[in-house]
Amino acid sequence: MPTRGEALQQTRVVDLSDDKSIYGVKLLADMGADVIRPEPEAGDLLRHRGPFDEESGESLWYSFFASSRRHFTVDEASSASLYELNALLGCADLCFLGNENTLAERVNVEAAQTRNPKLVVIDVTPFGSSGPWRDFKAPDLVASALGGSSGITGDDYTPPLKLFGELNFTISGAYAATAALAGLYHAHQTGEGQRIEVPVHECIASSLEHVFMWYYYHEHFPNARAQALERRGSLHWTNLYVVMPTKNGAMMVTPTPNIEAQLAWLIEEDAFQDLLDSKFEEPENRRHYFERMMDVIREWVATEDTEELFYKAQERHAPYGWVQTVSQVASNPQLEARSWWQTAKVADRKVPGPGIPFHFKDTPGRIADSEWLEMDANSVLDAVGWEK
Amino acid sequence: MRPLEGIRILDFTHVLAGPFCTRLLADMGADVVKVNSAKRAANAPNSPYYAIWNRNKRALALDMSREDAKEVAVSLAHQADVVIDNFSLGVLDRWGIGFDEISATNDQVIYVQMSGMGSGGPWSDFVTYAPTIHALAGMTYTTGVPDGGPIGLGFSYNDHQAGLHGAVAILTAIEARRETGKGQQIDLSQFEVGAAMIGVSLLDYFVNGREAHPCGNRLPYDMFAPHGCYQCRSKGADILDERWLAIVCRDENEWQSLCSVMAEPEWCRSEIFRTEKSRCENADLLDEHINAWTNDQDANELMHLLQDAGVPAGIVQTGIDLVESDPQLQAHGFIASMEEPHPILGETFADRLPIYFEKTPCDIYKRSRILGEDNVAVLADWLGMSEDAVREGEQAGILT
Repeated sequence: MPTRGEALQQTRVVDLSDDKSIYGVKLLADMGADVIRPEPEAGDLLRHRGPFDEESGESLWYSFFASSRRHFTVDEASSASLYELNALLGCADLCFLGNENTLAERVNVEAAQTRNPKLVVIDVTPFGSSGPWRDFKAPDLVASALGGSSGITGDDYTPPLKLFGELNFTISGAYAATAALAGLYHAHQTGEGQRIEVPVHECIASSLEHVFMWYYYHEHFPNARAQALERRGSLHWTNLYVVMPTKNGAMMVTPTPNIEAQLAWLIEEDAFQDLLDSKFEEPENRRHYFERMMDVIREWVATEDTEELFYKAQERHAPYGWVQTVSQVASNPQLEARSWWQTAKVADRKVPGPGIPFHFKDTPGRIADSEWLEMDANSVLDAVGWEK
Repeated sequence: MRPLEGIRILDFTHVLAGPFCTRLLADMGADVVKVNSAKRAANAPNSPYYAIWNRNKRALALDMSREDAKEVAVSLAHQADVVIDNFSLGVLDRWGIGFDEISATNDQVIYVQMSGMGSGGPWSDFVTYAPTIHALAGMTYTTGVPDGGPIGLGFSYNDHQAGLHGAVAILTAIEARRETGKGQQIDLSQFEVGAAMIGVSLLDYFVNGREAHPCGNRLPYDMFAPHGCYQCRSKGADILDERWLAIVCRDENEWQSLCSVMAEPEWCRSEIFRTEKSRCENADLLDEHINAWTNDQDANELMHLLQDAGVPAGIVQTGIDLVESDPQLQAHGFIASMEEPHPILGETFADRLPIYFEKTPCDIYKRSRILGEDNVAVLADWLGMSEDAVREGEQAGILT
């Protein structure tokens, strides 16, 4: 599978991740790393994650997250098979472990690192290996609640909400990939591998934008009434970005970064109402001015066609965002023009699929078909083609 | 020793996505030189927001409206492993420090452009912030409740993801450079990062023609029930006083354990909740029963009861909870005061890098620096300039 002229083509990875870090391994695999994902005889549990191809029953979740890998089966009852699995680690650069991947418990990391001192092991767990919650179970919704993202998502008429799909575990996945590559860099520089722990709980907590700022510096913000912000729909902590209904859809609207230009636009549209009232020139009314401006914009936007408004805004360099459905994203002209889509193999069909989120000029990545390794070779290492 | 020591990064980023990317690399030991100017108010280097995203970096002031300042920037770029910006396209080229100019003599350099839409395409000049990307990439539409209208994300999620992807891209390019001996350009579109986040739903659309819709706290594609946030005893009447507990049962064992903790109420043995499938089919009613059970209970106590029984459960934490009462974060020293007070903000704080390296721990957290605070040190280290020469540059308005 390697030698495709891709950035990570010399990097060998054993993928024993679970859903908390599989996205990170995907990032490396799609950039050309030679990733081997062993599976138990009963099959990879993640192959049971929906959605599924209605024709073949194949997991599309798995097709997306386990792209560009090679797979083989490990017979957990066979010491020879487990020996082969462990032998892989002796030739790998990176090994990802997930606490819900049953095969992760079957590798002896310490022994592997003795044989292969440059091996970097990335261990992604809900809370790390220490602390009072280290044994807590935390699937996505629970991780989202404890990590703080649910507390600021949702509205006053809803419960706290988890982010859609896998948005929490793609954060921990991206952290895992970052950790792996930093560890790999250090290993190349010094010859020293190591074990790296990535607790999902802290990954989520560290990616909450304003939350810690609000706690420590709330006195800097005139609209702060407490050291935390309540869940309040799409309203950004600045109060200057919010989703508003349009005549036929919804738009994320903001008067930033150029408030004066937004005012000028409202004047052009004869929709400025009382925004030119001299009372707003008084410093004590400045905050009310912004509140009023958002109200005025809301009334105006409600009468506008979504698509027309979006393009008019962007022509004026106003960062409005058209609230798009998945099918609209699928037909987006920008993604099409940048050739972002790649071909995915689902069962025997080739279909368009999501591409890679960075474009390397000289060593571009690509979504490769997954391969099932022929195991008639003498050993896994022979089949994989990794030198002992 | 931290893992990325020795890597030099020239950082022209602003707001969040770019600074978060370079903060990650700085936390891991890279020498990140943040270029700023008194004339660029957008970065407001004495604001709390700036202070949070620019720790562990060194601050260099350069008035890039001056030709002599641009010459300094060119010299710095020749010494850099990485040059990164999230300006509109073409700004670095106009300053004479674009990839083509610099790579002609520094062929090891890696350039990362983290623009909203990427280079090329009909939307390449569009202006975006994270909420714009959330909307355009389908995240705002899908995060919400059925028939409730788009709610979206309560924070700039995609800026963090773009920053993380930027870090992955940079380290990937450094690894490629080890093989090829050459740097390269990386074009990172924050919109494409956002679109990748709903990749599974996009694939489902292409394969099955199915549109994804918001589904509250349930899973869009898998069937687990219960799977929700349930209200517990509030601390007061304010929305911030509400206490919620997330509870998930992914299999029969977890369901039986939940029933046991609930003291086996009659309803949980009802035929309509007997199988995983029937619980999913009757999830609304199941949620009503569980809400009635949690409603007057202490969320924290209930979480421990359930976790001890093997049922995934977690309280919905606010920022106050994370800082003041999360025992796990406290045990890991996740939030700590910076060693040195900030000259303007006083005591500042760091939430630590959530990566624990066994042999190269990243335990150094230095406060963000004020404008030009490291002019002398940076220009001595990178260009061998004397302090007198730097002070002259400051007097002349170049390094301001």
